[in-house]
Amino acid sequence: MSVIDWVVLIGTLVFIVVYGAWKTRGAQDLEGYLKGGNTAQWWGIGISIMATQASAITFLSTPGQAYADGMGFVQFYFGLPIAMVILSVTFVPMYYRLKVFTAYEFLEQRFDLKTRSLAALLFLVQRGLAAGITIYAPAIILSTLLGWNLTATNVFIGVLVILYTVTGGTKAVTQTQKQQMAVMMGGMVLAGVMVIRMLPPDIGFGDALQVAGKLGHLNVVDFDFRLGERYNFWSGITAALFLFLSYFGTDQSQVQRYLGGRSLAESRLGLIMNGLLKVPMQFLILFIGVMVFVFYQFDRPPVFFNQVVEAQVKASPQGGAYADVEAAYYKLHDQKRAELYGLVTAARTGEDAQVRMHQAEATRLLQAAEGLRTEAKALIRSAVPTAETNDKDYVFMGFVMGNLPIGMIGLLFAVMFCAAMSSTASELNALASTTTIDLYKRSVRKHADERHYLRSSKLFTLAWGLLAILFATYASLFENLIQAVNLLGSLFYGTILGIFLVAFYCKSIQGHAVFLAALLAEALVVWIHFANAAGTAPGWLTMGYLWYNAVGCGLVIALGYLLQPWMPKAEPPIQRLA
Amino acid sequence: MNEDPIPLFRSWNGWYALLIGVLVLLVWCFHLLTEHYA
Repeated sequence: MSVIDWVVLIGTLVFIVVYGAWKTRGAQDLEGYLKGGNTAQWWGIGISIMATQASAITFLSTPGQAYADGMGFVQFYFGLPIAMVILSVTFVPMYYRLKVFTAYEFLEQRFDLKTRSLAALLFLVQRGLAAGITIYAPAIILSTLLGWNLTATNVFIGVLVILYTVTGGTKAVTQTQKQQMAVMMGGMVLAGVMVIRMLPPDIGFGDALQVAGKLGHLNVVDFDFRLGERYNFWSGITAALFLFLSYFGTDQSQVQRYLGGRSLAESRLGLIMNGLLKVPMQFLILFIGVMVFVFYQFDRPPVFFNQVVEAQVKASPQGGAYADVEAAYYKLHDQKRAELYGLVTAARTGEDAQVRMHQAEATRLLQAAEGLRTEAKALIRSAVPTAETNDKDYVFMGFVMGNLPIGMIGLLFAVMFCAAMSSTASELNALASTTTIDLYKRSVRKHADERHYLRSSKLFTLAWGLLAILFATYASLFENLIQAVNLLGSLFYGTILGIFLVAFYCKSIQGHAVFLAALLAEALVVWIHFANAAGTAPGWLTMGYLWYNAVGCGLVIALGYLLQPWMPKAEPPIQRLA
Repeated sequence: MNEDPIPLFRSWNGWYALLIGVLVLLVWCFHLLTEHYA
C-alpha cells in the first residue's frame, strides 16, 4: 500500500474513534451509559442496527461468495422485512411498556428469575465467544493482506473499539456507527462504480449483465422448495425468518440498539428502515462480487486469490507443477474470453442460437478452469499443509489491491476495519449491559448506588473487550472451536426465541414449564445437530443448520404446552424489578 | 405507552404494508432479472 492509502486508512479510523470518544465525553448515569439516555432518532437507530449486523466478514466474504456462486445468498434476507413487522407489532411495544434495559429483564416479569438467568447466560456464552470471532475472522485475512502480525491486528481492532465503547457506552457506539456506516457504504458504492468502469472498453454494463447471467451468476431467486438447500426463496422467508426474529428480537446486541430510541415510534421506524434497506444493501454487495467475476472473465485472475500462500507454493518444490497448472489455466481463460466476446456480439444482434452455443462452450471452459483450480489447491495442500485452501474471502480485497487506484485501497481497508469495529462495539456494549443488569445487579449486588453500577458497567465492557481480544488471539489454536462458535448461534437462537414467543403468545404457560421446555428443546436441538453431522439422522430429521432455529423454537412452545399441566403452580411474576 | 404521531401514514399498518410491498416488488424484480439473463 502507498503512503496515501495508509493516511486514508489510519486517518479514517483515528478520526472516528477520537470523534466518537470526544462527542460522548462527560458524566453519564447508568441509563445514559446503557441506553444512550433514550435520545436516538429513527435514522440513527436504523443505521446502528445495520452497522451492528454488518461485520467485516459481510464485506470480505459476500462479494467472494457472489464471485463463486452468484447472487442466491440474497434470498437469505427475504425473511428480514417480515421479522421487522412482527417485532414492531409485538416485541418492541412490550419492551417499551416494561421500560427494560435488556431483553432478558422482560422474562423475569413474565416468568421467573431462573428463566431470565438462563436466557441471559445463553446469550453471554454465545455472544461472548462470537465477539472474539468478530475480531479474529477479519484479522486473519487483513493481517495476511497487509503483512501484519495476526496478534497485533487482533489487538489493534480490539483496543480501538475498547477506547470509545468503555468511555462513551451506548451513545459512543451509536455515534461512531454513523460515520462507520458512511465509510462502509461510500467505499462499497465507489468500489462498485470502479469495477464497472474497469471492464474492457468494448464491454458495456449491459454486456456485463449478459456475461454474468449466461454464466449462472445472476441467479437471484430460486422458487424450488428443497429442505436440504441452504438458500432459496422458501428457506429465506421461513427458516431465516426465525433466525432474524431471534437475532433482532432477543439478542441484546440488537435489542440495545432500538431500546435507546427517543420513543416507541422512533424505534419502530428504525426497524422499518432496516427492513427497507437490508435486502437492497445485500444485493449491492453481492452485485459488486458478480461484477468482479465479470471483470476477471476478461482480465486474468490469479489462480489462487491468497497471494501470500500462492507465493509460498511457487517457492516450494511444487512450484514447477503449480506453474504448469497456471499455464493451462490461463490458456483456458484466453479461450473463454474469446467465447464470451462471441457471446456478447451475438447477444447484441439477437442471435439466440449463437448465444446458446457460446454460453455452452464458455460454461464448459469455466468448469474446466475450476477443475484446474482444484488441482492447484491440491498442490497448495501438499506444499503448505497449514494453508486454508478456500480463497473466497480474499477475492474482493485481492481485486481491490491489484486494480484500484491509490487512495481507494486505503478506503476499502477502512471499510473492513470499520465493519469489524461497529459489530464488536455493539457486542461489548450488550455483553456489559447483560452482565450488569441481569446478573450483577439482579443476583450478586442488589442494593448499591447508581455510580457503582455505572462503574461496574464500564469495567464489564473493558473485561469483555479484553476477553474478546484474548479469545481472538488464541482462536487459531482451536480450529474446531471456531466452527463450534459459528454453530452456537443456530443452536441457541431457536430456544431463546421459543422462550420469548411463549412469553408473548402462550399465556397459559408459566415459568417452571417454559424453563424445563427450554432445557429439553436445547438438548434435542444439539442431538439433532450431532445426528446430522454424523450422518445418522433419519431422513425426516436431515436439515440445513438454518432450520435449527425453527425446530428449537417449535419445540419450546410444544413442550411448554405438554409440561404445563404437570407443573406446580408458579409464583406470580414480580411487578417491578429492583 | 406513548402516543407519538406516526409519520406518513394514519397507522403503523401503512408502514408494514409498505415494507411487505417493497419486499414483494424486489422479489419480483429479482425474478425478472434471473429469468431475463438466464
